Formats: sequence, C-alpha cells, structure tokens
Amino acid sequence: MSRSDVLVDAGWVAEHLGDPGIVLVEVDEDTSAYDKGHIKGAVKVDWKKDLQDPVRRDFVDRAGFGKLLSERGISNDDTVILYGGNNNWFAAYAYWYFKLYGHHNVKLLDGGRKKWELDSREMVTEVPHREVTHYHAQEQDKSLRAFRDDVVAAIGVLNLVDVRSPDEFAGRLLAPAHLPQEAAQRGGHVPTAKNVPWSKAAQEDGTFKTDDDLRTLYGDEAGLDFGKDTIAYCRIGERSAHTWFVLHELLGQPNVKNYDGSWTEYGSLVGVPIELGDGK
Amino acid sequence: MSTAGEQASSAGCGAPAGGVKVKDGPGDQAVVAGRVTKDGVPVAPGYARLLNSDGEFVAEVPLGEDGGFTFYAAPGAWTLRVLAPGDVRADQVVSAEIGKITEVELAV
Repeated sequence: MSRSDVLVDAGWVAEHLGDPGIVLVEVDEDTSAYDKGHIKGAVKVDWKKDLQDPVRRDFVDRAGFGKLLSERGISNDDTVILYGGNNNWFAAYAYWYFKLYGHHNVKLLDGGRKKWELDSREMVTEVPHREVTHYHAQEQDKSLRAFRDDVVAAIGVLNLVDVRSPDEFAGRLLAPAHLPQEAAQRGGHVPTAKNVPWSKAAQEDGTFKTDDDLRTLYGDEAGLDFGKDTIAYCRIGERSAHTWFVLHELLGQPNVKNYDGSWTEYGSLVGVPIELGDGK
Repeated sequence: MSTAGEQASSAGCGAPAGGVKVKDGPGDQAVVAGRVTKDGVPVAPGYARLLNSDGEFVAEVPLGEDGGFTFYAAPGAWTLRVLAPGDVRADQVVSAEIGKITEVELAV
C-alpha cells in the first residue's frame, strides 16, 4: 500500500468534485462546522450520533452501518473521501471504522478541513441530495480493533502506543487541554506504553509528515519495534485512529489495532496496572 | 474535577468552533480564553493552537465566528499560536493558573 492509495490532496479533490463514484464525507464532532460550510457535494456523518450505539458503549452494528451509508447515498463500490476538523481526527476514526466494516475504497483528504480552509478554498452550505442506496456492510474486521483484555495482555509484550499529550500520558491531565478536565477515574498510562502524541505525525497545516520522518519518529525516536504487533490508544479512540492510519496505512505495518475503549475505559477498570509520570 | 464547560468532555475529544465555552466561572480549571482580530474584525476561519514550553503542540481549536477560543490547560506558561488563511501566523506567550480565566486579545 502506498500513500497515494490512502491519501488525496486538496488539489485532487478540487478537480474531482462531482465525479460519479466519488463521495466526499465530512466527519466532525462539531456538526455545526458542516452546517456553517463544507466542501461542495460533501455529506455529513456525525461520529457520535451516527457511529455509536445510542445505549451501549459500542459501535452501531453491521446492519446499522449499512443503513447509515444507504441513507447517505453511498454504494459499496463508491470511493469515499473522508475529511474533517481537528487535523482529521474524526475523519481518521471514520476511515478506520469504514475499514472495520469492510469498505476498502476509502481515502483521507490530507490536511482535512483545516488545510482546505487555510488555503481559502470554496466552502458551501448547500446540502447535496443523493439517492438512497442498498449498502451491505461486512462483518467487523476484528484484526483492526483491540479490546481491554488485548491491552492488558500486551503489556511488556507488544508495542503499546499512547498517542495522547505528554500531560495526559503522565497523569497530570485527564483530557486534552481544549476540554474541561473530566474523564476516567484515574490518570496515567498503560505500563510499557510509549508516548508518541498523535500531533507529532502531522504538520502544522494538518497534513501528514513524510514516510521517512514518520518512520524515524516511531522507530528511532520512540523505540517502537516494527517487528512486533502494535496497539494504539488515546482517550476515546479517535486520536489513536489517526496514529493507526499512520502506522497501518502509511507505513504499512501489518498488525496494528486501535483500542477504541482507550483511556476512558482503561483508566476506570478495577485492578489493572497503571503507570504514572513521563515516558521512560 | 468540576465541569466548567457547557459540553461534557465525555462527548469526545474534538472541540466546537471557539472551543468549549466557560460557564459559571473557571471552577478548578486553568482556562485560557480570548479572541483574535485583524484590524478590529474577528478572524474566522482560523485556528488557535496551544504549545507547551518546549514548543510542542498540545491542543487546537477552530476560532469561533467572534474570533474566540477557549483552552483548559494545566497551570504554567504556554505559547498561543494563531493560523489563518493568507499565511497568517502569530504567537503570544500566555500563563495559565488554576481557578482563573486568563484572557487574551490577539491582533494579527
């Protein structure tokens, strides 16, 4: 897999707006962002309302995902281009989620909404009309998803990558600094996890760093063993989807899982080991 | 810890435009909030980034329609960086304290 299989740049998107078989999807937590302006022709997916089960803490099931994509007018053979705010956090999360349910023809707009806005490219408020489809989702590909027992079993055995900010990793903060501080019962990180904040993989404009820079960052600097399987986590699993994208899709690491329970689950579990302080 | 914002953080890691607004005072949070203007007019779209004392990225919010932003930081010194279309890039050092809203007005 190469970078061009999984990423498109803003220029490519501008040239292919409206092409049949290509669907732009904006994924934001802040759904008002889409309503205030989005790339022409893009449909909206709300990472929470549309992708999370409303009762249990889990994803919508296979049928639910099929229903969502059908309603959005997305077909199984469409190329889906995802983009969003926060340097593509939620778009990367959706990318991982689309892969989880077997939609393979999906790419990220490099730099996401931020790069598009900073380049002063056109945004519209008009919501496109797309005909309803009959989308068939696949069974979840569990090779992409880690659960809490996988994480405990990985301590000292596999690569664990904690992609939160250093203050969250150390236990000084429980949530990112742009949010009120409340979350898991305890602060800290999974023992033996390496702290590589997701943001180190991105440049200031939200685009991904080069493959060479990324390999140096995770390998030489953070000390990940590329010969081992890897589990990435953050607080709720979307920043770590960004890192999953880097390791699995850009660098081609074969066995990388995203732990979507992440710190809000792990930091509230009874009896699991927790380490405090800065990285070793 | 108390909740100073109107939106519980359990809703996610993403920030609405302008950040999560402070309601009922800072509580026990160290809040950095303010507004970015250019020639007296709010800057939007644009982005506010918070960098730590090593210059490392910590958080980012899109500026609100009023050019506003809000961060919930740890106490200490931070660099606020603003990005906006037209290669606008401006930095300002700010200090955050628990129980206080540090207000910043930044003209670019």
